[in-house]
Amino acid sequence: MGLGAPTGLVDTRAEYQHVFDIYVPIAIGVFALIVIATLLAVLVYRRRPPERAARWYEHDRLEGGYALLLVATVAFLLYITFTAEHRVDTVAARERPGLVVNVTGSKWEWHFNYPAYGIDLYSGAVGRQDLVVPTGEAIRFRLTSVDVIHAFWIPQLRYKHDLIPGSVQDSTLTFSRRGVFAGQCAEFCGLLHSDMIFDVRALSPAEFTTWARSQQAAGGGAA
Amino acid sequence: MRGGAIPLLAWACLLAVLMAGNWVWTGDAIQVGAFGFAVLVIVLAAAWLVATHRGAIRRGPPEPPPPGRAEAAPDLSFAAVLAAIAVASILFGLTWAYFLVYFGGGLLILSLGRLALEVQAARASRELHESRSLPDSAEQERGP
Amino acid sequence: MSATAPAVTTVSRASSVFGAAASTDHKRIGLNMGLASLVFFLGGGVMALLMRTQLAQPHMQFVSDATYNELFTMHGSTMIFLFVTPMAMALAIYLVPLQIGASSIAAPRMVLAAFWIWLSGGIIMQLGWLTQEGAGRSGWFAYVPLSNSANTPGVGQDLWTVGVILAAAGLTIIGGCVLATIARRRAPGMSVMRMPVFTWTQLVSALMVVGSFPVLILAMALLYAERLGAHVFIGYSGAIDYQDLFWFFGHPVVYVMFFPFLGAAAEVIAVNAHKRWFGYAAFVASMLAFAALSMSVWSHHMFTTGGVTNQYFAFTSTALVVPAGVEYFDMIATLIGGSILLRTSMLFALGFFLQFLIGGLSGIFIASPVLDYHAEDSYMIVAHFHYTLFAGSVFGFFAGIYHWFPKVTGARLREGLGRLHFVLLLIGTNMTFLPMFFLGNYGMPRRIADYPSHPGWGTLNLLETAGAGVIALAVATFLVNVVVSLRHRDAAGEDPWLGHTLEWATSSPPPRHNFERALPPITSYAPLLDLRQRAADRNGAAMTRVPAGRAGLGPTPQEDAP
Ligand SMILES: [Cu+2]
Repeated sequence: MGLGAPTGLVDTRAEYQHVFDIYVPIAIGVFALIVIATLLAVLVYRRRPPERAARWYEHDRLEGGYALLLVATVAFLLYITFTAEHRVDTVAARERPGLVVNVTGSKWEWHFNYPAYGIDLYSGAVGRQDLVVPTGEAIRFRLTSVDVIHAFWIPQLRYKHDLIPGSVQDSTLTFSRRGVFAGQCAEFCGLLHSDMIFDVRALSPAEFTTWARSQQAAGGGAA
Repeated sequence: MRGGAIPLLAWACLLAVLMAGNWVWTGDAIQVGAFGFAVLVIVLAAAWLVATHRGAIRRGPPEPPPPGRAEAAPDLSFAAVLAAIAVASILFGLTWAYFLVYFGGGLLILSLGRLALEVQAARASRELHESRSLPDSAEQERGP
Repeated sequence: MSATAPAVTTVSRASSVFGAAASTDHKRIGLNMGLASLVFFLGGGVMALLMRTQLAQPHMQFVSDATYNELFTMHGSTMIFLFVTPMAMALAIYLVPLQIGASSIAAPRMVLAAFWIWLSGGIIMQLGWLTQEGAGRSGWFAYVPLSNSANTPGVGQDLWTVGVILAAAGLTIIGGCVLATIARRRAPGMSVMRMPVFTWTQLVSALMVVGSFPVLILAMALLYAERLGAHVFIGYSGAIDYQDLFWFFGHPVVYVMFFPFLGAAAEVIAVNAHKRWFGYAAFVASMLAFAALSMSVWSHHMFTTGGVTNQYFAFTSTALVVPAGVEYFDMIATLIGGSILLRTSMLFALGFFLQFLIGGLSGIFIASPVLDYHAEDSYMIVAHFHYTLFAGSVFGFFAGIYHWFPKVTGARLREGLGRLHFVLLLIGTNMTFLPMFFLGNYGMPRRIADYPSHPGWGTLNLLETAGAGVIALAVATFLVNVVVSLRHRDAAGEDPWLGHTLEWATSSPPPRHNFERALPPITSYAPLLDLRQRAADRNGAAMTRVPAGRAGLGPTPQEDAP
């Protein structure tokens, strides 16, 4: 999924996949090349009398050319990375969000507040409520923490951002597909860090509206 | 000893370039500060090398040691070990048992005093050695 | 200096436990530091085994969450502050004076004191285990505000902080002494551009130590003040400032833990290929650039904080490709045309380069902020740095041990046990750390005492735990090898491997002042190889100047003009 996001919104998962699909094949290719070259050299030049070892030890031009190739590779990788990062960090932040969710981390619990609907949900060491979101819309998560640093990570979206006390930082994310996805705190935050988990339930916009209405009717608390 | 300061200066230059890049690109005071500290330490180390030995910024192999120059080295130094333990017990005492701070402080003074005596004795024995040695004995200092 | 130089103290040297502990002989200090680091390595390894047991399956509860948090904190702190970094420095203390033809290290008393300061720090850090609240438990980078006294109360975390200060102080002083030794104590003839490759790697890492470790000491002192109640790191900017200060040390230290072992592996490869290290000048230039760049990448640990300029750090981090690539080029070009012996040390050196490659390439991956937004603080990171530090540095360390053990002890390690050690370690390492890449990509965060039973997670984790057991077996094999080799000595002589550098031009172990005979002429960074090649030329053996693969079979007698 991902690449076929229905809207022009920034899809973090697709951006990740795009960069991944360039970086990883290059890395695997380089790895294979170096391993093969090394093993081949070892096999070919194994166990000859020491006197037969060659005496050359330098080739500046060859090495300089190789370094230039490396510089070009770096430039290419950075171009790929910077364009993708521009979209994830800058373009996404400019989008008009369909929904704003205040995300507050505390030891060891997530608090999701929907200001437009007056809904509050909690997940973590003391129980589990899903973070419910609509698909196909930009969602602005306003991230903060009341005690220590936590990190808001949704592996499905290939994205995380830290929740740092004393700041509110925005992350604009889009879910392009319905489903239930795992989320968790990624920055070690003390004793029950591993319990600081939540599920995201992505609904179609219509389903989301129905859900939100029912929540409001129920008083905003329980799921 | 020639050449000793050149790698330091070369490296400090590289670091300064990266620091300048950081300054322009991020403008972050604490980052530039940390960078600046590192550059400063290396430049000061190089300056110390040059100050104690003019040849340190010239290229080439070190020249042979000056004739008649001896070096006195101790085989053992309990004072150095005690000074280390004194420092450790001061810091340990801060967290655990305050009396260790006083104990460490006292030990530190004693061991530094002992170290000073060691250094003095080393200098005395070197001077004695130099006054007695033949001119060519120094040639063997480094096992030529 | 010669043996006739007057000694100050009258106590006979190293004749007792006290003598060994207070000796100012750099070889004794280096050995003591190496042995102490090895003990910490075994301790850190036990912590790792306990963690892997806990994670073998979901919901094991083998240890409590609190204990688990102490375990990973202390595992990381032990391995970094008390094993890999000091082991790299122990190699410097022992070998650098020998390699540059010096009779002693600069400021031996300072090195001795620094060793004891470091060791005290290590012991104080571990004393936390005995306290009521337990040892340090806010991770090896102890981010504020988690590490302040409100969020992590107790003496154990104080002891951790003080321990880090002392360990770092000791290491900083040693770094300075190594730097001074290289600058001031080179033998006549050894210009900077004739220093051995290993010495160069130690020089650049000493530069990084003196440039960055004091910043850690500052950060830890401020953290200690914060824990005592001072308000130092306040709010968001305080949290970011702490991270900046910590990682300004915390990333360079990664290279301090890498360069010396790169140098060790390079020496081993050159010696076992009977060919000098290829591209010396380019290697030196790339090491300087490598070290400078690696001082400038630290905030790639902070890509997800929103508090740093990600692009600058993505730029510097990715640029590391260039110097790293040059080292690999040199490694392969050294092998080509050589005559290669696959001794145990060589196996470990090749293992170092090829496995580190996985760590290095995954490092380029996470240098991209977009990829790091997913990988950060996940098991992908754990996999990445264990490939650099374990599959890399530890393999390089073992390469160095098998190579220099005869120099230090006078006896060779057993080759058969050595090969078994290598194979076990190779299997164990990859079994343990390769699955972590996949788990991280599936979404497993690091530092969790328990994990959800998603499909496949239990299996991969079990595989890792089994791999950790294989690593333990490999380390046990190594210890057996050491004991056997010291009990039934296979005398090595001065130069068992046809070494290239000056440490092989003296007895094994070297005498108190290192060289009792005249040093050979220092004509390049491989003076002993020069000597052998000149002798071969005089004897008229055919020495080809083209890649030897094209030469005929075996040496052909040939008359050279003398
Ligand atoms: Cu958390």
